[in-house]
Amino acid sequence: MAIVEFRDVSRVYRNGDHEQRALDHVNLSMEEGKFIVILGPSGAGKSTLLNMLGGLDSPTEGTIVVNGKDISTLPPNELAEYRAASVGFVFQSYNLIPTLTVIENVALVKEIAPDPLSSHDMLRAVGLEDHIHQFPSELSGGEQQRVSIARALAKNPHILLCDEPTGALDSETGVMVLKLLLSMARDMGKTIIIVTHNQNIAKMADVVIRVKNGKIKSCEEQDHPLSVEEVDW
Amino acid sequence: MLLKKLFRTLWQYKAQFISMVIMVALGVGVFLGFNVEWYSLEVNTGEIYNATGFADFRIYSDKGFSPEDLDAVKAIDGVDDATRFLSLNVSVKDDTDTLALTVSENMNVSGVLVMQGEPYNAEDPDGFWLSDSYAAANGISVGDPLTLIYQTITVSGTVRGLVKSSEYLICLPDSTQMMPDYSSYGFVYISPAMLDRSIPALYKALIGSLYHQINVKSSLDKAAFVEAADKALGSTRLILSKDETVSWAEAQGEVNEGKTMASILPVLFLAIAILTMVTTMHRICASEKTQIGTFKALGFKDRRILVHYSAYALIIGLLGTILGIGIGYGLGWFIMNPDGAMATYIDMPSWTLHAPGFTWLVLIGINAFLMFIGFLSVRKMLQGTAADALRPYSPKRMKHLRFEETKRFKRLGFGTKWNLRDCVRHKARSLMTLFGIVGCMVLLVGGLGMKDTMDAFLDIFYEKAINYTTRVNLDTDNMTQEEGKKLAESLDADWAASRAVQIGDRGYSLEIYSITRDKVRFADEDMKIIPLTDDGAYICSRIAREYHLKKGDELSFSPYDSSDHYTVPVAGVLDSMTEGIVMTDTFADKTGIAYTVGSVFTDAPEIPEDARILNRQSKQSIMDSFDVFMDLMNKMIWLLVIAAVILGIVVLYNLGVMSYTERYREMATLKVVGFKDSKIGRLLISQNLWLTVLGILIGVPVGVGVLQYLLTALASEYELKLVLGLPTWLISILLTFGVSLIVGLMVARKNRHIDMVAALKTAE
Repeated sequence: MAIVEFRDVSRVYRNGDHEQRALDHVNLSMEEGKFIVILGPSGAGKSTLLNMLGGLDSPTEGTIVVNGKDISTLPPNELAEYRAASVGFVFQSYNLIPTLTVIENVALVKEIAPDPLSSHDMLRAVGLEDHIHQFPSELSGGEQQRVSIARALAKNPHILLCDEPTGALDSETGVMVLKLLLSMARDMGKTIIIVTHNQNIAKMADVVIRVKNGKIKSCEEQDHPLSVEEVDW
Repeated sequence: MLLKKLFRTLWQYKAQFISMVIMVALGVGVFLGFNVEWYSLEVNTGEIYNATGFADFRIYSDKGFSPEDLDAVKAIDGVDDATRFLSLNVSVKDDTDTLALTVSENMNVSGVLVMQGEPYNAEDPDGFWLSDSYAAANGISVGDPLTLIYQTITVSGTVRGLVKSSEYLICLPDSTQMMPDYSSYGFVYISPAMLDRSIPALYKALIGSLYHQINVKSSLDKAAFVEAADKALGSTRLILSKDETVSWAEAQGEVNEGKTMASILPVLFLAIAILTMVTTMHRICASEKTQIGTFKALGFKDRRILVHYSAYALIIGLLGTILGIGIGYGLGWFIMNPDGAMATYIDMPSWTLHAPGFTWLVLIGINAFLMFIGFLSVRKMLQGTAADALRPYSPKRMKHLRFEETKRFKRLGFGTKWNLRDCVRHKARSLMTLFGIVGCMVLLVGGLGMKDTMDAFLDIFYEKAINYTTRVNLDTDNMTQEEGKKLAESLDADWAASRAVQIGDRGYSLEIYSITRDKVRFADEDMKIIPLTDDGAYICSRIAREYHLKKGDELSFSPYDSSDHYTVPVAGVLDSMTEGIVMTDTFADKTGIAYTVGSVFTDAPEIPEDARILNRQSKQSIMDSFDVFMDLMNKMIWLLVIAAVILGIVVLYNLGVMSYTERYREMATLKVVGFKDSKIGRLLISQNLWLTVLGILIGVPVGVGVLQYLLTALASEYELKLVLGLPTWLISILLTFGVSLIVGLMVARKNRHIDMVAALKTAE
């Protein structure tokens, strides 16, 4: 069943007379519970696609339907509710609140999510139960990214959106994070969408979407994705 | 190229830049304004003192002085010049007005400055040189006839000139009046020749010399002069130095008041401006760190980068100073202009504005210091290698705080923890916010409290203490004590007598009251109306302070022109307008102090015509004269309130924007996670409101302290007791809260425009 549908979606940025088409009439469908990788070079439009899906940005044309709901024309407050309930974000630069401890960073979603999960459980799931009272600045990059994943999961979202989640990590830590994300799809049934330019990550994906010049170049389902260990990092 | 960058960067940080310029301008403006006020007053009064030969000493005698006495005084070593002088209150014919008729034999001492009409002529037989302010208030011009009446003597002539005199710089008929009222009281000079012509021969023969005063210009100190004068004249006389005269003391009081104000309020403004500059320059340099690093990596020398970035502080300082000079002179002009309230108080010809020399040095110092702040901020970012400088500025690492271990902290919501830690992490910013709020509160409590204090003061000393409709001043020279008492009886009046006394070598007035009809009342140090007892003398709180006296102690004084000495118990300490001693007639009689009834206080609707009545003064006319005074006061308070609100808005907005910028990324994260704009706004505002509550809690005692300090500094002029009404508390707190809330909302509105995508892409 399609959890995400892009119907003829375009995103145009205007700066004076200059017009830049970041997404150009994109049509796309994503299935629930899949591990999806969006690949493309810099400036291809993959992050724009992710931002549209995450409710951080709205399309200039077209419709985006998530879980049967059109999010493309939602007003700011309803978009905030959508972000709070339906999607979790994991960024390349973690984006944790530096003045909140690990557990507080995760628990803050309780303030807004309608059906949050236990912060302790999520931190246990990402292997950080011993670090809950530390501040982000006291953790390594990989640990910070795991906190970020725990925070995203604590909202109990349908979809986890990850923008270059391993971009700032060494390969060993990156592998650990990817393993974690993969397990979220396999064990928890979450739809994981990763935007990256790392071809190796694509080998693990159920679906690989290639983007170039704002258009979908291809959308391939992989019947036998590799496990993290099988990929040559 | 760097210059282009400089202006573009200034534009980029326009909120901080403009608020810093405003802060510096306010600081400089208030500093310069108050200094211009007191210094201009000093210079301008100095001009009229010099131009009219204001006397350094006044020697008084009931019997008058002969030409030989004058010669004896002139012969004293250290006396530059002297004159026989006469000043007595006379009535204007067909009018209720009173004029101080003045004659100075030698116009180089206690003379006049002719503003219009003919020069003063010592031989003129029928010429008046009239106060130009009195003339203006009464529509009198040069050439108009004028007739004055003193007892049975009528003096007629023509107004030859309109003048000003430093002897009447503050032209008050008596010490109960706070402000001059030129519509009913002024002064007029006549020549010795006209005086001589006007006084009947018989009268002269009876009373001897008309000149009851010798005014002296001398550089001697009072003790030396008194000793020399007593020796020269062969007896002890009442001698007052210039600082014991109303004109000098009051004008000097205004100067000192200005100096006091100039030493408190500007310090507050300048301190906030400088501290805000430290915080702002540090933040600007921190956010420019990668650019500073880029310059360094490109090969720019540290010195050039330092000069470039220090120039921001210099530009802010210079623009603020230029604006501040405008504000300062504006403020100076507001207080010191010929059409303003001060001009209704002090009657001087010149109202030019002057700034004391040191203010320019201070302004240069402030600019140098601001540039130094900029320099230090950049130098910090330049430290290390080019690679170090290229790394973005990273705020301090978070550490656990002691109070985080408490159960109460653990129970707090995320927003509270977030804000608390943010306050601790950005201590300088939080402290500055606090400082701004405290400053705002201090100005409001100080300004409005001053008004409450003055209102209470006027209420006690005038509304309550003056319980009569008319004060009638009697001619003590032509009235016996019995006659005075009889007149008081006939008018159903209380009465008072006045004698000049001295404690040590200082002159004071001894007021003897007979109060049986509750027409005059007195207030104690707590500003409570108390009845006078017959157990001793009451002293004003200034005398109590000066001589360390309290109730039950003994007070020694001696009347002038007398060898008597009295030692009496102090029955109480009074809060009063004038410096002096008060006692009941019963106690005076018991002690054996002689006196003559000088004033009666009555509610009688009709006061009969009586040659022994010098003049009448209605309570209404006294109260009216305060309107002008209160008008000046209210204007000053409005200025303070406006300054407080501007200060609050500028400081809080600047720091609010800074806080917003520093937490931009965190807010973007919250927004991405799903927080609504309104919730993020509430989080931002709540931090502001906490600091506001804390600022108010600190600002209240500090404000009261500053006001008390001001009142203590002004104590030589008025005996003011600090009073703060409920409306002052409410207005101060609500206005400070309102300013904080409005600025908080202004800043919080910005979070609607957070670009989540862009914010989250930037590196931590």
